Amino acid sequence: MRTHRYGSQPAPLLPLALAAVGLLAPRARAADFAGGVRPILAAKCFRCHGPEVQKGRLRLDVKARALRGGLSGPAIVPGRSDESLAYRYVAGLDPDVRMPPSGGPLPAADVAALKAWIDEGAPWPEGLDPPDAAEAPVPWSFEPIRRPAPPEVRSCGWPRGPIDRFVLARLEPAGLDPSPEADRAIWIRRLTLDLHGLLPTPEEVAELLRDDSPDACERLVDRLLASPRHGERWARHWLDVVRFAETHGFEMNQPRESAWPYRDYVICALNEDRPYDRFVQEQLAGDLVGEDAATGFIVGGAWDQVKSPDPGLTAEQRMNELHDMASTTGTAFLGLTVGCARCHHHKFDPVSQRDYYGLQAVFAGVEHGEREVSVPDGAEREARGRALGALEAELARLRADLWKLEPQASLDASSAPSRPPVSPLGNTDRFAAIEARLVRFTVLKTSSLEPCLDELEVFTASDPPRNAALASAGAKARSSSDFPGSPLHKLEHLNDGLYGNGRSWISAEPGRGWVEVELLEPVAIDRVLWARDREGKYQDRLALEYRIEVAREPGAWKVVATSADRLLPGANAAPAPGPASGPAARARELELEVARLRARPKAYAGRFVQPGPTHRLHRGEPAQVREAVAPGAIAALGEPLGLRADAPEGERRMALARWIAHPRNPLAARVISNRLWQHHLGEGIVATPDDFGSNGAPPSNPEFLDWLASELVARGWSLKALHREVVLSSAYRQSSAPRPEAVAVDASSRLLWRFPPRRVEAELIRDCMLQASGALDLRMGGPGFSAFEPNDNYVRVYEPKRAFGPADWRRMVYMTKVRMQQDGTFGAFDCPDAGQACPRRTRSTTALQSLSLFNSAFVLEQARLLAARLEREAGAETRGQVRRAFALLLQRAPDPVEEAAAADLVAAHGLEALCRALFNSSELLFVS
Amino acid sequence: MHANSLTPEGRRLLDRRRFLGDAGRGLGGAALAWLLARDGLLAAGDGRPPPLRPAIRPDAPFAARPAHFPARARRALVIFCSGAVSHVDTWDWKPELFRRHGQPMPGAEGLITFQGEQGSLTRSPYEFKPRGQSGKRISDLLPHLAELADEMCFVHSMTARSNTHGPAENQMSTGFTLEGFPSMGAWVSYALGTEAEDLPAFVAIPDPRGVPQTGPSNWASGFLPAVFQGTAFNAAKPPANLAPPPGSPPAAEAATRRFLGLLNARHLERFPGDSELGARIASYELAAKMQLSVPEVSDLSRESPLTLRLYGADDPDPVRAGFARNCILARRLLERGVRFVQLFNGAYAMGEGVGNWDGHKKLKEQYDVHGPILDVPAAALLRDLKARGLLEDTVVLWTTEFGRMPTFQKGASGRDHNPKGFTVWLAGAGVKRGFSHGATDDFGYRAVEDVTTIYDLHATLLHLLGLDHERLTYYHNGLERRLTDVHGRVIAQILA
Repeated sequence: MRTHRYGSQPAPLLPLALAAVGLLAPRARAADFAGGVRPILAAKCFRCHGPEVQKGRLRLDVKARALRGGLSGPAIVPGRSDESLAYRYVAGLDPDVRMPPSGGPLPAADVAALKAWIDEGAPWPEGLDPPDAAEAPVPWSFEPIRRPAPPEVRSCGWPRGPIDRFVLARLEPAGLDPSPEADRAIWIRRLTLDLHGLLPTPEEVAELLRDDSPDACERLVDRLLASPRHGERWARHWLDVVRFAETHGFEMNQPRESAWPYRDYVICALNEDRPYDRFVQEQLAGDLVGEDAATGFIVGGAWDQVKSPDPGLTAEQRMNELHDMASTTGTAFLGLTVGCARCHHHKFDPVSQRDYYGLQAVFAGVEHGEREVSVPDGAEREARGRALGALEAELARLRADLWKLEPQASLDASSAPSRPPVSPLGNTDRFAAIEARLVRFTVLKTSSLEPCLDELEVFTASDPPRNAALASAGAKARSSSDFPGSPLHKLEHLNDGLYGNGRSWISAEPGRGWVEVELLEPVAIDRVLWARDREGKYQDRLALEYRIEVAREPGAWKVVATSADRLLPGANAAPAPGPASGPAARARELELEVARLRARPKAYAGRFVQPGPTHRLHRGEPAQVREAVAPGAIAALGEPLGLRADAPEGERRMALARWIAHPRNPLAARVISNRLWQHHLGEGIVATPDDFGSNGAPPSNPEFLDWLASELVARGWSLKALHREVVLSSAYRQSSAPRPEAVAVDASSRLLWRFPPRRVEAELIRDCMLQASGALDLRMGGPGFSAFEPNDNYVRVYEPKRAFGPADWRRMVYMTKVRMQQDGTFGAFDCPDAGQACPRRTRSTTALQSLSLFNSAFVLEQARLLAARLEREAGAETRGQVRRAFALLLQRAPDPVEEAAAADLVAAHGLEALCRALFNSSELLFVS
Repeated sequence: MHANSLTPEGRRLLDRRRFLGDAGRGLGGAALAWLLARDGLLAAGDGRPPPLRPAIRPDAPFAARPAHFPARARRALVIFCSGAVSHVDTWDWKPELFRRHGQPMPGAEGLITFQGEQGSLTRSPYEFKPRGQSGKRISDLLPHLAELADEMCFVHSMTARSNTHGPAENQMSTGFTLEGFPSMGAWVSYALGTEAEDLPAFVAIPDPRGVPQTGPSNWASGFLPAVFQGTAFNAAKPPANLAPPPGSPPAAEAATRRFLGLLNARHLERFPGDSELGARIASYELAAKMQLSVPEVSDLSRESPLTLRLYGADDPDPVRAGFARNCILARRLLERGVRFVQLFNGAYAMGEGVGNWDGHKKLKEQYDVHGPILDVPAAALLRDLKARGLLEDTVVLWTTEFGRMPTFQKGASGRDHNPKGFTVWLAGAGVKRGFSHGATDDFGYRAVEDVTTIYDLHATLLHLLGLDHERLTYYHNGLERRLTDVHGRVIAQILA
């Protein structure tokens, strides 16, 4: 960045050296403005300082804006032409700046008229502003962050640090005292729920209560922040904001299989305490800085898979994609509703339509989709290469002999089927060696839909054998028809040497279709290998009945193998479909492993292409194209990105990332600091976390927000440093008990006279149950688990699972996030639907929630598991079991009344009933 | 503490006066507190009348709330036919389309619609006959509904913003083509609560064949509190987790609830007056009541054989009978005061046009199946509502996401999507009877007369329920969001 230009820091005015002051200007009448001065401005100035462009943030066609001036200072000072930059620059009074910048100086008469008008007081009649000029005020949040000194407070015993002084400075004038410190058991519960989304174990509670060293709390906080559980918990907050989901949404709502690397990226970045400015940059331009999966942010939104030849619909869909990218960027990093400027200038904030389309231009080259991502570091890549080499060598050795074990195909119609049934994983058809130029595989019946072949291999009868069907060996493929419009399923994938559904051929004929390979030259062949999906993910579209023919010359077909002598799949008489051990099984294992290692991992992180020009669209209508707009940011907020309209694609995103994360951009640090405070204390300093504009809620404590934001930047954008500061503060350690006199003054606890208690999120309820029952699986990363029954309808049907097992017992952040569909048990607890950004969850209380917790199969199963754990760990005696249950779930001992009632319940209806009730208790569901 | 029922205990601790007097105290009320604080700010902002915010009791979020002005309708029934019903084969009689059958549509050379190129203008395979006193011509596809023409108020000039099912269903149900916005039923239950104490305010009844294209988006709460989402169940499939665990004796259920009540009551004692905690206790009470009331409302065994026959619930075809049972369920819900019922006809899981109205390729073959599934039960429902006097204060909307082309698709025997003009109808409280508003062109391609939008339709529906669509708002991500975005005007011509 060349100069400051953030916020409204005053630019220095050149000292005035001229003695023009005091000269009497010729009298001019007010009417002269409309007929005299304005036309001059219109002809010479409006192009750069008018309705569409406001260089230096100066706009001269609107009275209020012209009189306010621009970044360089006041353009028009009524009565003082000598101080008016508009006059000085056109009159050539400043050596450095001359206006207009091109086209030669203004005629002397025009300069004189301008001077005369200004000196007369710049009379500007009302009613001349263009209709769109109603100007949005510059909101408080656009002002630069000034680091305030923590305020002086009367009570000097309470504050532990600056945070407490800011909080106390609001409490004292309201006549409120802070609450006493919460019990340590309550604090560790609060802290662990907050930082990990889990409960402290009874042992952890006991250890803290025992530890009387002065830094016991600090060490606990450091330990919690260092644990990978922290990233899993706080990633969820960010994933809400960025509308992360693992399906596309809309009508088809198909899975987005490779979206999970973005989730892993966020978890990892938070665990590693990635500096926030870097975190921003990676999500917008991770492909350029070695964090490929991070750009999953840009394409995290819904994407309509239904495509149409209708150009109007196609344009509208693309506009919606770009809108999602631009508006989510504004929401997530700037806390601004830039999406409002799609159809017109923003009504409340200084965000113009040009700003909006400038942001769109930044993303104009981003397309939805997955791309190969780099393997993180050299060492890992090398290790992978070595492993692959060894496996492939072993596989080659095995394969050289394996095929000899396959029975030969028989064309004798009278003999009973004896060959193994067809398998989606791979099939070998052996026959007596025959010279052939053409090989045809005809599918006559499939298990479902159009047939799919991931690769067709034709082996020579030579030693060593080779696959003569490969395109790279000069063979050509033909087919009866090809599946239309799919990048995955193409004829060229039939013999490209690559396996798997993603590199396969599908016909366009339900149940049938043929492919044919023309070899480079006639050669003796003795077997054909084919599969539906050698990677083992798909079992549908399998050829059940087929015929293989070969020919020396076109037309002279000879059948060499058919499915007639194969056993039926699943037929009782069938021998085991393949040995569970032995060379074939080993080869199968190796094939899968090789495929896994060879595939460069893919992530749904967008594809990047160099885009064409972006245009402003009148009223946001794709059909109403207006002027071209260069990639840009929000003019009122900082210096332009300075990119040409045809700037290289990656440069656009990088420039925007730098612009957002610039230390002088006041919004990035304010917005993330506010989010952080909001998640710790339940309510942001700005209660509208995604609207820091004029229509949002004003900050309840602006100095405090600025202190937090400046502290974040000063600590190298370390979020963990800020977390630590917050959770160790006296404010955070307060008891949450209500005090009538404080309730009377501040019922919502916004002033923080106590720690505000609240219900925890769905993820915490689920994870804590699993943790308490002992079922929680803490495996990190990778693809998630599904909350729904399997389904492969092209318009995906999501039917909640009814039975659960250990595969479902990972943390909920790893539950595959389906857009617009909620988990059948915990979704009712205000989980966001990932349709729109969700910076702040609603927190409702519904009967459906109660039914879920009281009756669902999931919770009842966990109650059984917890009961079993209690019996295991606390012996056969009810008293011990009850106490253990309370300790695990509520971090306290039952009082005598509770203990007696619990014992009665266990005696009458078993331990499970107790666990079920505890899982439903308000105390478990609330952080206090 | 050993009180047998949670209810009196809960009631004592809840102290309703506190809820009403201090919504801000509770955690759930925190959002409300600043929302209310912001009202002044907004009123000063843009010269519009300020939002009218429903005063929602945390312990009883469904409690009936007053409308903005006296309402014509106290509840609404939306019959949503998913897949896009062809208006030119049902409600919109176009003699010119019959006359110019087989000719190219003028001005449509090179026209590309959703699935591609167009063939010729194609008359409906169904005859249109005059019906009722009004003589309104309606096709033979839906003869029983057609008999009720005098009850219906047709809007023939409806237009949609998208010509693909997902966004278009979103728009019809939520006002927005994008994902993630609250559905109309959610808006209405947010505004008005319900008159049915022990039932959800908003019930979505999925078709026996499955859910529509965009599934729960049609009844989502979006960014409104989750309590206002539609509860989805139909006559065959109760809401999830409603039934007590199989095999658990009633005594165990009661004892577990009692112990939970004790725990929660003691916890509340430590946070006296906390409305969110109070609301949790109340939610368990409501859940317990729903465990009785929902099976009761879904139990059609008390319906007379005559009623079952009138609706077609005795049809041997399971889909026809299933939809008929859903129609009876809709009536039973409305009877009990449920505020908003959305009854779906058609589902997408079975593929294009197979289980829904998406007749691209084989329109007649498919509509011959779908017509009777809808016709007898929906007509019986409308008659039944009228006979029981419910039509006096219930507004019924029959709708679909968009219409279909007057041409057949090139090389096919069906019609492509057409959002430029289609028909919806209303009936019941507050709307004219036997009335038609707006018109498409000679062929039914484009709305040309009194063109209306879905925004207008939503504004009108809210108006009938006593709600000003411009003032029913909810603050989300920097905006006062409305069902009608920044559009919509009440279609005054159709109001009775």
